[in-house]
Amino acid sequence: MAREGKTPRLPEAGQWPDKVAPAALVAGIVLTTVGFLMAFLTVPPVGGATVGGVELIGDAMVNQKMLLSQKIFYFHMPVAITSFVALIFGAYYSVRFLMTKSQRFDTCARIALELALLFVVMTMVTGEMWTRFEWGVWWSWEPRLTTYLILMLIVIAYFVLRSSIDEPERRATFAAVVAVIAAIDVPICFMITRLIPSSIHPVVLREGGMSPEMGLCVGLVALGMLCVCFALYRARFRQVRLCQRVDALKETLDDER
Amino acid sequence: MSAAPGTPAVPAIRCEGLTKAFGTRKAVDDLTFELPQGAFLSVFGPNGAGKTTLLRLLATLARPSAGSVAVNGVDLKEEPDRARASIGLISHNAMLYPDLTAEENLLLYARLYGVPEPERRVVELLDAVGLKHRRLDRVRTFSRGMTQRVSIARALVNDPAVVLLDEPYSGLDPHAIDIFDDLIGRVRDGRTFVMVSHDLEKGFRLADHVLVMARGRAVSFGSKDALDPEEFRALYRSTVGSGVA
Amino acid sequence: MDTCRAPSALAQYRVLLMKDLRQEFRTKEMLVSMGIYALLVIVVFGVALSFARPGADFLEVSGGLLWALVVFTSLLGLNRSFSHETENGCLEGLLLAPLDRGVVFLAKATSNLVFLGIVEIIAVPLYWVFFSSFAAPAATAALIVVPLVLGSVGIAGIGTLLSTITAATRGKDVMLALLFVPIVFPLLYACVSATTAALVGGVLMEEAFATSLALAAGYDVIMLLASWVLYDFVVS
Repeated sequence: MAREGKTPRLPEAGQWPDKVAPAALVAGIVLTTVGFLMAFLTVPPVGGATVGGVELIGDAMVNQKMLLSQKIFYFHMPVAITSFVALIFGAYYSVRFLMTKSQRFDTCARIALELALLFVVMTMVTGEMWTRFEWGVWWSWEPRLTTYLILMLIVIAYFVLRSSIDEPERRATFAAVVAVIAAIDVPICFMITRLIPSSIHPVVLREGGMSPEMGLCVGLVALGMLCVCFALYRARFRQVRLCQRVDALKETLDDER
Repeated sequence: MSAAPGTPAVPAIRCEGLTKAFGTRKAVDDLTFELPQGAFLSVFGPNGAGKTTLLRLLATLARPSAGSVAVNGVDLKEEPDRARASIGLISHNAMLYPDLTAEENLLLYARLYGVPEPERRVVELLDAVGLKHRRLDRVRTFSRGMTQRVSIARALVNDPAVVLLDEPYSGLDPHAIDIFDDLIGRVRDGRTFVMVSHDLEKGFRLADHVLVMARGRAVSFGSKDALDPEEFRALYRSTVGSGVA
Repeated sequence: MDTCRAPSALAQYRVLLMKDLRQEFRTKEMLVSMGIYALLVIVVFGVALSFARPGADFLEVSGGLLWALVVFTSLLGLNRSFSHETENGCLEGLLLAPLDRGVVFLAKATSNLVFLGIVEIIAVPLYWVFFSSFAAPAATAALIVVPLVLGSVGIAGIGTLLSTITAATRGKDVMLALLFVPIVFPLLYACVSATTAALVGGVLMEEAFATSLALAAGYDVIMLLASWVLYDFVVS
């Protein structure tokens, strides 16, 4: 099937970002480790949160020793940031897909959302620990927690939807539409839960900024996490693209037979 | 009533490099042909050859990823709504609401197309398919063959110049098939037909043009007169034989 | 013979809407099943609350329960609403016509809204009859009509988009619930807040009612616009 000038374009993988990916992975690991060590060794406990003696928070007695639990924060916050970045990329690629109908963007969106799911789940788990130790309850319908729960449910629904459609183009289109709707829905969700005063569940938010050391530490870990996320993204992208390439090659062979 | 044929110089259907692809999987791959006004084209090919996708592209139910397709000189990508007004589709799906009567179904479509005097047109059509006496009955109560006849009337409601047939025989008994063929013969009327069917004999008998597809590509295209039936059968068998992956 | 002239979008919208209404009022399939389902949900609430002490506290819960009723009932209806279109390939028939896809969406959303409204007109008084013995609502209780309208509009809009998506999937009933509940959550939250405020009255009414309604309305506008724009991608 020698049709001049029209060799079928095979899915490609291994562009320049793949060369950066291993370096990013190493940098990510180093940064995250440094950040963790800092969190436990050098950063003092949250300024405003020191408890004088013993205090009743939720149904638990909290004392200074328990404030060690707030070190979770240095893991929780960067993971949350990373999941959010992954989600934004997922939504961005979904829009690109709807505009171009190119399979490449569908793959990008899917992988970005896979990573988003991974980091959202980690956020939920660490957030749970935080809630338990900081507020003394297992769950609180607090705006951030609620929004993240909804977010997690939508991302899960996204993948269930994908698995229940066989036709590739339709699957990609529907998934992209859901991703766009989710991207619109989540900020609204946060706003609504935040702005409506709930009489039953008081909003438990610590206002006030972080100390410079805290900010530095969170920044380091967040940067590290983003690097790790990027490396994972490239690895997964490469894997999926190569699979698609193999499929395409098989088809070409079929054609030539 | 007459189908509104364009000037004879304008082909009824013109495809140029028509491609429908997702990723590297190409359902329709670089299809180029021209079909003159009033022709009856039969499309053959094994399962997954892209016949149905081609029909969906012609019916504006799918958008081409590359290339162009025009019906009566109207590009389907650029002016889909103008093209839609002159296309009718008869498929194995009746596309009729079972809980509406035959007349209500046709009136619905007639009004969507903006047919002038829809009530008269609908009665005319139901008369033409021999179901005028059942026009106030719900489609749910109809037999498969009768439903298919209403479906023909539905496809003709906008007086299309091009009629597409997607496996119209599936689910019909032999008697219903005879009635169907007879009806199609009567509504030819200068219209152009494109039919996708697994039934080799039937498709070949009605057609005056033949397109054989395999893996999205045209294996052969031409007027039936130029084709030796035996040679065609051999070709068909060889494509169908090797095409099913 | 005159050639067809594509009618105005408004005329097409009316034709499509009439089609849905005529079909439903002839069979009453969806209305009856939604109505019975609503009654059953009320019965389940009755069991769930059978050991609760009557009192003013109930008012704080009742708004939420009412919305649980609306959400479950509308899920049932949304699942049904698109099965007519896919049953015989009718949706394709509509898409063959020179017809803007947005019109299809608006017509379907309107008919869903009408059916949901009819069921609410029956179910909400029924809910009141069964549970009015628990506590007397505040004088502002009649204002729950406003959040009910806003909520129904949003549910019909986003629900139409989602039910179109899920109609073509395997296990569509579960799939619709899975997408619908989280996506409609913010609207639900706002509507529950407004409804509770109206039922409880007093300070809560002053401080939460208007904000909640404004947010619910904002959600409706944004989501309806998004669904309307995205509908084109979903059906083709």
